[in-house]
Amino acid sequence: MKKVTIYTLSTCPWCRKTKNFFNEHKIPFTYTDYDLADEPTQKRISQELDAAGATGFPYVRINGEVIVGYQPELYSEALAL
Amino acid sequence: MSLCQVNMESRKKSLHYFYEKVVVPLGFKFTPDNEMMNFLLEQEVILEGRHGIPFCPCQPLRNDRTCDMQIVCPCIPFHRKHFDDIKRCWCGLFVHKDVLDPDKLPQLPPKEVKNE
Repeated sequence: MKKVTIYTLSTCPWCRKTKNFFNEHKIPFTYTDYDLADEPTQKRISQELDAAGATGFPYVRINGEVIVGYQPELYSEALAL
Repeated sequence: MSLCQVNMESRKKSLHYFYEKVVVPLGFKFTPDNEMMNFLLEQEVILEGRHGIPFCPCQPLRNDRTCDMQIVCPCIPFHRKHFDDIKRCWCGLFVHKDVLDPDKLPQLPPKEVKNE
């Protein structure tokens, strides 16, 4: 089973769609709402976003592969669905 | 309807009125997806209540004024090239004036945009 980590914002509808995608496909994932996280967590996520050249959410990491934005086709490819 | 709901609706209308005047001259319009538009405006009113400024609901605050001012809605002028390329803003509240079906516009980050 591939490890799926998602960074989201509680105010972002595309982040909700992303979580729905993984729920609907019964793929387990962990997520962090950036805006509700503590400062050290926000700093760590910010650094990860910057390293990936990402400017917005959702931010999805499937094993080592990073997918920025709501891109269900790429999620499916990365998960070999 | 509670006072809170009245304020929410009234503020959404105000933001809509103001944003339209800013984005139309830039070649953008509100998304034709009304449900999405209402949800995003509602999130912006919530963010305005929290921070005093209606920030983009889909981009992170960095606790750095220069960075954060670049995600105040409508943030199109700060991301013009990127949003022109993907024909939408990041959160999708605005789309290019010629867009009829916003569902066909992928949410591509800058580095994935293929310029022809």
